[in-house]
Amino acid sequence: MKARLAGLWRSMPLRLALLLVLLFATVSLLSLAGSYAVTQRSFEQAIRADLAQDMAGFRAAPSAGALARLVEAESRATDPNRLILSYIGPDGRIYGNGAIARDDEGYHIVSLGAARTQYTGVYLTLTDTLYGGLLTIARSRAEITALREVFVNILLVSLMPTVLIALSGGLILARRSKRHVEVIRGTLDRLTTGDLAARVTPGPRWSDDLSRIGEAVNQMARAQETSVAALRQVSLDIAHDLKTPIQRVSVHLDDLARAQEERSDPSEPLARARAELDGIAAIFQALLQLAQVESGDARAHFAPVDLVALCRTISELFEPAAAEQGKTLVCDLPQNPVTVSGDRTLIGQMLANLIENALRHTGDAARVTVSLQQTEEAVQLSVADDGPGIPVEDRKRVLQRLYRLDRSRGTAGHGLGLALVDGVAKLHGAALNLYDNNPGLRVVVRFHV
Amino acid sequence: MKLLVVEDDTTTSTYIARGLREEGHTVDVVADGRDGLVQATTGAYDVLILDRMLPELDGLTLLKTLRGAGNKTPVLLLTAMGAVEDRIDGLNAGADDYLVKPFAFGELSARVNALARRPQALEQETTLRAGDLTMDLISRRVTRAGQEIDLLPREFALLEHLLRRRGRVQTRTMLLEAVWDISFDPMTNVVETHISRLRAKVDRPFDTELIQTVRGAGYRIDA
Repeated sequence: MKARLAGLWRSMPLRLALLLVLLFATVSLLSLAGSYAVTQRSFEQAIRADLAQDMAGFRAAPSAGALARLVEAESRATDPNRLILSYIGPDGRIYGNGAIARDDEGYHIVSLGAARTQYTGVYLTLTDTLYGGLLTIARSRAEITALREVFVNILLVSLMPTVLIALSGGLILARRSKRHVEVIRGTLDRLTTGDLAARVTPGPRWSDDLSRIGEAVNQMARAQETSVAALRQVSLDIAHDLKTPIQRVSVHLDDLARAQEERSDPSEPLARARAELDGIAAIFQALLQLAQVESGDARAHFAPVDLVALCRTISELFEPAAAEQGKTLVCDLPQNPVTVSGDRTLIGQMLANLIENALRHTGDAARVTVSLQQTEEAVQLSVADDGPGIPVEDRKRVLQRLYRLDRSRGTAGHGLGLALVDGVAKLHGAALNLYDNNPGLRVVVRFHV
Repeated sequence: MKLLVVEDDTTTSTYIARGLREEGHTVDVVADGRDGLVQATTGAYDVLILDRMLPELDGLTLLKTLRGAGNKTPVLLLTAMGAVEDRIDGLNAGADDYLVKPFAFGELSARVNALARRPQALEQETTLRAGDLTMDLISRRVTRAGQEIDLLPREFALLEHLLRRRGRVQTRTMLLEAVWDISFDPMTNVVETHISRLRAKVDRPFDTELIQTVRGAGYRIDA
């Protein structure tokens, strides 16, 4: 219980609620005190005006005797708790309903009746000399005293419930937000313990910032899940795609052993085993490079790359190979350099992979075009062919590692070329799209400038 | 040449050492980084062949220590990692060249020879000759047996590279790096097709073949 309270106390909403309550109470108190002071002063002024008016009334009496009689008559009709009149005549006699005495403790008003009781209450007094005597009029401040009570009541009736409501509201909010935070924490705990499918499900009453944190947690979890799934997939792919060639190497070595026993020519199984091993090494190299590209480390040494020059070099490199297969490789490049920030080797390899793909998967006399277009906000690099193309439903899958269309199983290649193209494009923040070239395939990489 | 191989995998080191000895080199082999550092600093070697992953002291640290001590022996770094970053790391540490495992012996041999001769490659020549072929680097004209040969700029560069390294094998990857400035190896036989085009112009109309294919390694002009 104590720990739970301590936990609540440290929660943000409760602290906010308390702060607001404190602020509200201070403002209310200040405004109440202000209006109390103003009201009190105006009451006092009214009493003083009454006193002055009373005094003026008595001053109208024609003589000391008449004044004394007037005071006596008025005194009988007034309640001494409200108004006290006291006239000390020139002869020293006291008329009225009270006498004002003074000692060490201040003024005392004493009844003139037989009991000589002392009035308590607080009075405002006005004293003047009339016909050689001293007339004192005192009016009670009871109304002003009552005013204070009224204000205290107002305070109790209005402020206390507000404070209580705000406090309990804060507590409820704090508990609720604690529950929401608990949901996020629980998800994180599950993620930490390896349940990568765990997600935060924000309730309808969640605050925006908590929902956003929840969404960020989900995003992180999704990314984590994807990369772990990718890793798992790669392990499976490696196991599958490398087991087969390793199996074949083992077959070729058996053949070699048999050739030795039969004293026949060992060169063919030898060459086959070697070719098989080269293929295995190539797959490993491609997978390693893919992993490195996907890690994004290469961004650290990005430099300006002239795509026109690079396209020209790579096309020129592949042109004789294309011609040897009876295919045409042409370039459609701008005259001036087109520069993007990137890794020259990786972009070059991406382009090489695209050209190799185009040459590999097209028929005789195919035409492959490498082109580059620069617009205001993008540089578009495309490699187009007039071969069989890739069906729409397969276009996403060919970007995956080791995925090969059934009809391509017989051709060379390890199914990592387009995955690397995809990885390099992502590394450069470029968009990779596969389009129908009617007929053929057009691969477009859009670099943002 | 006197060579030092620092490699902990005995199959690989035996293979390298045997191949290099067959080519007439003197080869010392050590199996860990600490011995490698001692051996490299005390013996006068023409080229070091250094594995990147070694027990006791890894290859990169060994290399940095060696360079820190002012030792300028050319180093060929062997590594299982072939990504661009690793290449840059290796070259930054002071390696002169870089070879990714698995490699063919021909590639290793060609690169070791290239390293050992690197300083001499700087000489300024205006005319390169091989047999009856002459290349004028200033007028950029090539003639063979008095006949002028028309070459495209890249064919000229390829032939120039081979002529400048007469007698030494140049592998596909070495040519890709030097002539096209490309540090990856495409799967297509692009270099072969360029060489065969060059041969069609330089060799086919004549009696003798200047550009020779070295099996399992690369190409060489010997004349």
